[in-house]
Amino acid sequence: MQDGETSAERGPWSLALRRFLHNRLAVAFLGVFLLIVVFVLAAPLWADHVAETGPNQEHTVDTVTVDGEERDVVTPEGKPIGPQWFDAGGKFFLGADSRLGRDEMVRLMYGGRTSLLVGISAALIATILAVVLGLVAGYYRGWADSIIARTLDTIWSLPVFLIGLSVGIALAVGGLKIGPLELAGGSLWIPILIISIFTVPYIARPIRGEVLSLSEKEFVEAAVAQGAGPLRVMFGEILPNLASTVIVFFTLMIANAMLFEAGLSFLGAGVQPPNSSWGTMVTVGVDLLRIQPLLAIAPGFMIMLTVLSLNIVGDGLRDALDPRGKARLDAALQFEAQAASPEPGATRP
Amino acid sequence: MKKLGAVIAILVLAAVAAIGLASCGGGDDSSGGGGGKGGILNATYASFPDYMDPALSYTVEGWTAMAEVYLPLLTYKHANGDEGTEVIPALAKELPEISNGGKTYTLFLRPGLKYSDGTPVKASDFPFSVERMIELNSPGSTFYFSIEGAEEFAETKKGPIPGIEADDKTGEIVINLENPRGTFENELALLFVAVLPQDTPLEDMSADPAPGTGPYMITKSQPGKGWEYKRNPYWEKANGEAMPDLPAGVVDGAKITVIRNEVTQVDDVENGTFDWMQNPPPSSRYAEVKENFEGTQFRVEPTISTYYFWMNTQEPPFDDLEVRQAVNYAVDDKALERIYAGSLSGSQQILPPGMPGHEEFELYPYDLAKAKQMIKEANPSDMEITVWTDDESPNNEAGEYFNEVLTDLGFDTTLKLLSADNFSTVIGNQSTPNLDAGWFNWFQDYPHPNDFFQPLLAGESITPTFNYNHAMFDDPAVNKKITELSEEQLGPEQEEAYAELDEEIMEQAPWAPYGNRTVSTFVSDEINLDSVIFNLTMGQYLSSFEFK
Repeated sequence: MQDGETSAERGPWSLALRRFLHNRLAVAFLGVFLLIVVFVLAAPLWADHVAETGPNQEHTVDTVTVDGEERDVVTPEGKPIGPQWFDAGGKFFLGADSRLGRDEMVRLMYGGRTSLLVGISAALIATILAVVLGLVAGYYRGWADSIIARTLDTIWSLPVFLIGLSVGIALAVGGLKIGPLELAGGSLWIPILIISIFTVPYIARPIRGEVLSLSEKEFVEAAVAQGAGPLRVMFGEILPNLASTVIVFFTLMIANAMLFEAGLSFLGAGVQPPNSSWGTMVTVGVDLLRIQPLLAIAPGFMIMLTVLSLNIVGDGLRDALDPRGKARLDAALQFEAQAASPEPGATRP
Repeated sequence: MKKLGAVIAILVLAAVAAIGLASCGGGDDSSGGGGGKGGILNATYASFPDYMDPALSYTVEGWTAMAEVYLPLLTYKHANGDEGTEVIPALAKELPEISNGGKTYTLFLRPGLKYSDGTPVKASDFPFSVERMIELNSPGSTFYFSIEGAEEFAETKKGPIPGIEADDKTGEIVINLENPRGTFENELALLFVAVLPQDTPLEDMSADPAPGTGPYMITKSQPGKGWEYKRNPYWEKANGEAMPDLPAGVVDGAKITVIRNEVTQVDDVENGTFDWMQNPPPSSRYAEVKENFEGTQFRVEPTISTYYFWMNTQEPPFDDLEVRQAVNYAVDDKALERIYAGSLSGSQQILPPGMPGHEEFELYPYDLAKAKQMIKEANPSDMEITVWTDDESPNNEAGEYFNEVLTDLGFDTTLKLLSADNFSTVIGNQSTPNLDAGWFNWFQDYPHPNDFFQPLLAGESITPTFNYNHAMFDDPAVNKKITELSEEQLGPEQEEAYAELDEEIMEQAPWAPYGNRTVSTFVSDEINLDSVIFNLTMGQYLSSFEFK
């Protein structure tokens, strides 16, 4: 971009980026999120070169040298070693995770990979499904809209977490087999699919609304008049105008999916042992809360930090990509506030 | 940047709140006890028993829950330790008269007995109860296949079983066996043959328990959630006087709640929300509870039990002896002692200490390098293994440990953690796919070594459902020895033969046994710990609980 360029000359994406960069809170938390990503991507490096152990490797009867002194990783009474920070050269930095004596720091890093993988994958699948369903329902209307909208309403009306929990437990034992699709009981795809299916309505409903509105715009009518077919209109004309909404929802859905996964895993219906995710690590940590509280606090804090970062970044993206949307929301909130408060001089009945 | 500061403050607050929430327990409200005689015992189990039907249940939880609701003709003395292994008459007037070279057992029903619904108990209820148990394909059926015609009845489901004769007028019950059976008196004291009224439906009665003859009756049962007891009104009117050796019980009833979080259970017993937890404290709290409450609210006692990993000997890769032996070398019982936080002592054999015939040996001292070498030499064709364990701590961790051992040996493993409520049912059903290997434990049903061989390692015990021979071990020479020994009365010669059988089977390594567990009784400070009786077969007797 050249100096002196006016806003009218800048493209919408450039303007959005500029607006986003002015939102210091969102930028700060984008940095936090990127640090988290780097942290989990560095898991093999830490595991191989510092901790010298894998995420599932057990050290129940091993010892570790701390300041020249040999210490049990797990005592004969079953107490796992606490955080050693760098006293043992980075080994058991956050202590051992349980009586199995696995390195908590290594599991935290690998667990983060799992949590992010599940969150991003589930959000991506849910977003793709939601965009397709929203486009079809909003563009075709009629019976297609009725079927899709009522199906989404039905999913929306279900106690999603309880059903996800039941389905997760059932599939964790028996796996899933539908035609050629076969998933083993412990597969990560099971929580990913459960989360993505149950979160589709949260994105598809607003997208459908936007498509209903966009399909009446002049540029759509022009495209139809020029002989464009439904697929080209939906994906070539309407979809680009949904980009900002989709990006914002996708970001927020990652956070939601991560929370969903953490809840399912905490209750045994998500990621299956011995694999770790931050949710499963909280479960193990709660068991030892009195003697090693950090085992529950560390993964819990990571979940909270990641979800918070994604939510703030998502809000920042919304403000940057759709400032009028924020203005409309602000106006609506102001209107509601005025309606709720009595006018000056008015008396209460 | 004010906004950023506010967010950081929220983060800190949220972290504090999260810690607070995580340390909060669930738990139910307490109905409290009375003080002295009477009162309602408010207790908790970590899982609902496999069945609340005496014919079907084959778990410690089930037997502890029903021991004083359903009585067989014989029962175990209400006493701690070895004294509690003595078989005494229950519904029968006396111990059986054994004649015909050990093949005929004659008993007489006590007169005037009634079920908790007021129905009189008849001698013919006994053959009905045995037939019902077999018709329901109970896991205990095989104990009674030595009765004439019982095995045929199991196949045809057409009765009556000719080997049982009952006379309602005289109360006489005659049981004819096909062969002598040294353990039959013990088996007549098991809950499988607790006597039930003849209108009891031929179905699992867990949700609507049948009337019983013991001092308590189950008034409400909600599978998965809990159950309640009240005094059996006919105990005081009829049965108690007829069976003076059996205690009437001190508390007026009990409310049992299933709390699946054992940490919460410990908290709730400590703060008096519950008066007793049936299962031991989880490993994470075991040392702390022992240190703080031993002698006043907490007691540890040995059990006659074996904890082990089983391997399916009929399917690859565990159909290869070398692979099974390698796994035995790779399992380190010292690691498992730590996982059980001191509540388990390591062992590598089938018969536990305290069981007649136990002679210590160690065939597979821990040697991971040797195990890996053996696997390399065996070069198994199938490297994909599913490992099964239940979700109760620390058994879940034992299962995870075993899973990692197999991974270390080069297998591609999948761990399946099942709810303890239905773990036994799922892995005992042969239609469940991929029953390759897993965790299990066994507590004595009666003080006879046959109890560790016949149900768990005899070929005849392999059944389509309710199977407890998870290793699918079926060795003709071993089967023959088990049958022969079961027909003899236990003596020094037989004990020696059982010790040899233990080693002979372990040479074939269908299991990787790893230890024997202690059991604990943990009560609130409202309960008189000294009065609580722990029976090696039945667990803690409800009738022995009393408020201070």
